[in-house]
Amino acid sequence: MAAIGHGKQPIVERILEPAEARKKIQGLTQIPVRSQIANEIIGISYGFFSPIQGFMNKADVDSVVKNMRLANGVIWSIPIVFDMSDAEISKYGVKAGQPVVLSYDGNPMALFEVEEIFTYDKKAMAQSIYGTTEEKHPGCSRTYKYADKFIGGKITLVNRPKINEPYGPYFITPLEMRKKFKERGWKRVVAHQTRNVPHTGHEWLMKGAWSQTYAELPIDKPLCGVLVNAIIGEKRKGDYIDEAIILTQDELRKSGYFGDHNHLTSLTFWDMRYAGPKEAIFHAALRTNLGLTHHMFGRDHAGVGTYYGAYDAHNLLAKVQNELDIVPVYSMNWLFCPHCGEVTSEGLCNHKSEWQKFSGSLIRSIVDDGVKPPRLIFRPEVFDLVMECADKYGFGSPFVTDEYLAKRIPVFSIPPLK
Amino acid sequence: MAEGNYPINIWVNEERFTKLDKAGLSHMTKEAMAGLKVIFVYANDAQRDKLLKVYPGAKYDSATTKSIELLPRKVKDEIFDLVIKNKNIDVLDEFLKGK
Repeated sequence: MAAIGHGKQPIVERILEPAEARKKIQGLTQIPVRSQIANEIIGISYGFFSPIQGFMNKADVDSVVKNMRLANGVIWSIPIVFDMSDAEISKYGVKAGQPVVLSYDGNPMALFEVEEIFTYDKKAMAQSIYGTTEEKHPGCSRTYKYADKFIGGKITLVNRPKINEPYGPYFITPLEMRKKFKERGWKRVVAHQTRNVPHTGHEWLMKGAWSQTYAELPIDKPLCGVLVNAIIGEKRKGDYIDEAIILTQDELRKSGYFGDHNHLTSLTFWDMRYAGPKEAIFHAALRTNLGLTHHMFGRDHAGVGTYYGAYDAHNLLAKVQNELDIVPVYSMNWLFCPHCGEVTSEGLCNHKSEWQKFSGSLIRSIVDDGVKPPRLIFRPEVFDLVMECADKYGFGSPFVTDEYLAKRIPVFSIPPLK
Repeated sequence: MAEGNYPINIWVNEERFTKLDKAGLSHMTKEAMAGLKVIFVYANDAQRDKLLKVYPGAKYDSATTKSIELLPRKVKDEIFDLVIKNKNIDVLDEFLKGK
């Protein structure tokens, strides 16, 4: 039975095996791509971005920008584009109707069946996706840095990525993910979207969402799980390093705060756009493709600074809910109440004048000040693992530094074609 | 004293506690986050904006805590030392002078 993803389309992997790949790419021009494009090639070819089959042509870009839909009517919020300058187009001889090979790490990665070369108003794109044209918005900045031409066409992976340690167990494709859910007997699975090391606020968000998702299902055996899906992509100085993020998320399960019966950690390759509501719609599509039934959304989902209202994402999701195949689970904040003596929900505790809110930034400041956070707000196993990752992977820091950016082992590599 | 709305949390580690104790100021600490000791130094709008400009790695956590976070440790040490010297938390004008 076909795995059905976003837009009620079957998930189809677009991947050639080595023997056929060699034949198809022989003699074709090779064009090196940057990490954003390599991430999106993986997303397209394994079905994470289904029903997208390649980099968008103009009709799709225009429809996404103007209507938040693909040209075929399926809801889609963020253009997936391949940009090139005129000089590069000329250098590589890119022409509609002439396929090329996209390479990464100096090795062939994907067949690109060039269909169209076009221009698009980048300011209009930015305004639609991000709700602003301000260059200081990181998504706008990314858009303005795109070269002036876009190339549309289908993508087929010709060389599977090698996932480097410690990320191997966490790269789970949409088709594999469905098998894992079936093995565990999960009828419902709620997505926890993250780019961070978990504090107990995150842990309780997951626990709250799990309960909301479990709802009326029978409790004689575990039927509901949390899937942590960490977004792994472009890093900024001061972010936690990727190794700390993925390993600490899984540590909550390993240390018994969750278990194999209700928790699984995975990753998706994607450069965060900070598009707030539009990114929430993208996340809904992505996690539908991963086989999830529910998706938790807190306040200011995928936001940055003060560009978006706390509930803008929820409001946009509600507008298109009848066209989505994933149920949004709206999550209230968790905080520490000294009167209750515990971490509690802002929807439950009424000791409002005593509330002590905490965040990843606040916890990081505690650590930076040479103080170990208490276990009620940061699990000791997570803290110890963060420090371990700092030594093992972070050149002494759990946060991204220039040294980490220069010397880190990449999450994936494209090896020579066999 | 300029009114301030934006706390900088000076978390009291062992070294800071020793200094506070020696100065007879351990009563200035508050308890937060299930047992940690902290000194709150409040910034007003202008002070907050200047801090964020001078220390671009710092951030105003507008989403959750409404506090100024990620100031470098040596900056917080300097602010803390001014609190000890003045026996007062209203130190940011002095701290920011010339910065």
